[in-house]
Amino acid sequence: MSAKTPPKCPPEGDHLLLAKIKQAIGPAYLAHGVTPEGHLCVMVQADKIREVASAVKSMGFDHVLSLSAIDYMAEKKFVVTYIFASYLSPELKGQLLHVRTEIPRDNPKIASIADIFPSADYEERECHEMFGIWFEGNTHMGKRFLLDPDCCIDEKTGKPLYPLRKDFKVPDWGLMG
Amino acid sequence: MSQALREFLLKKAKLEKIFNWGVRWSLWPVHLVTSCCGVEVAHTSGPGFDAERWGVLPFHTMRQSNVILVEGTITRKMAKVLKMVYEQMPEPKFVLAMGACAVRGGLFWNSYHVVQVDTVVPVDVYIAGCPPTPEAVVRAFIMLHNKIKGKPGPFIEPSKVDLTPYLPPPPKPAAPRPAPQQTAQPASG
Repeated sequence: MSAKTPPKCPPEGDHLLLAKIKQAIGPAYLAHGVTPEGHLCVMVQADKIREVASAVKSMGFDHVLSLSAIDYMAEKKFVVTYIFASYLSPELKGQLLHVRTEIPRDNPKIASIADIFPSADYEERECHEMFGIWFEGNTHMGKRFLLDPDCCIDEKTGKPLYPLRKDFKVPDWGLMG
Repeated sequence: MSQALREFLLKKAKLEKIFNWGVRWSLWPVHLVTSCCGVEVAHTSGPGFDAERWGVLPFHTMRQSNVILVEGTITRKMAKVLKMVYEQMPEPKFVLAMGACAVRGGLFWNSYHVVQVDTVVPVDVYIAGCPPTPEAVVRAFIMLHNKIKGKPGPFIEPSKVDLTPYLPPPPKPAAPRPAPQQTAQPASG
């Protein structure tokens, strides 16, 4: 969140959620914040993401709504964002839980949570294609899922390029002449 | 009777002309709905615009059709499908590129995964708009009629009315700027 707009005062439900999460994930907790929509956002340690995922599942969250990454090229890191939500739990109705981790950009590896949350499987495959993050434990790593197998390949080395990284150059069509 | 009719027709018109007349009034498009333009094609063949008046009957298999309507963005994966569908169609066959995405990539013009339609298959008529109205689709089919007839060209002819007496006079050309004069800077201090 930017410094100019201070975060809204978190509603009371989020206070309760924060206390529960701190108790559940224990030492993996690093920091927290509240998004402008009033959802709780927790920063956790990258090597304990599997413990965090099982703790979040035991709290009642039953699916991963979104899994994406942010490329901080200048700071040489990726921020992987998991958003958890619940269909079944009545007290978590309308709640989204953002969980963020930081991983280094030159060796982007993180443990897969696809066996804990099956809905994270396709998201991890897409994130692997677009950013080149290797989710250890997911059996589909290194294959093409959404992209055409002929495109986004470095001509000199033959290695795949990752189109949503900041240093990716879109091939020029010469649209304006 | 049929022999007499055949000889009469062959005397009256060239065989190619009869063939083209038959092709013109039986344009059966395959839908390649890759985007929202498919909604407008549904309008076009609905009762309001009724494109069947021009012989345009939407059909569902490419082996029995002769027009392919590319309705929207073509990604690199879909381009292979488009090429395969095009090669399965019987001759004569025509391609209509519908919408800004099919013409020039549209919103996704600088994407890593979007191609132009005319790099994949030869396009007969381009339809501009995002999305084009049903009138534009019907106009494109009439342009295709004219092309099969042998008179390709724009459907709407440019206006020949002279509007110059009603328009304000053109602005006078601005006077050339004087060259910047070099003035001596007053010595400070």
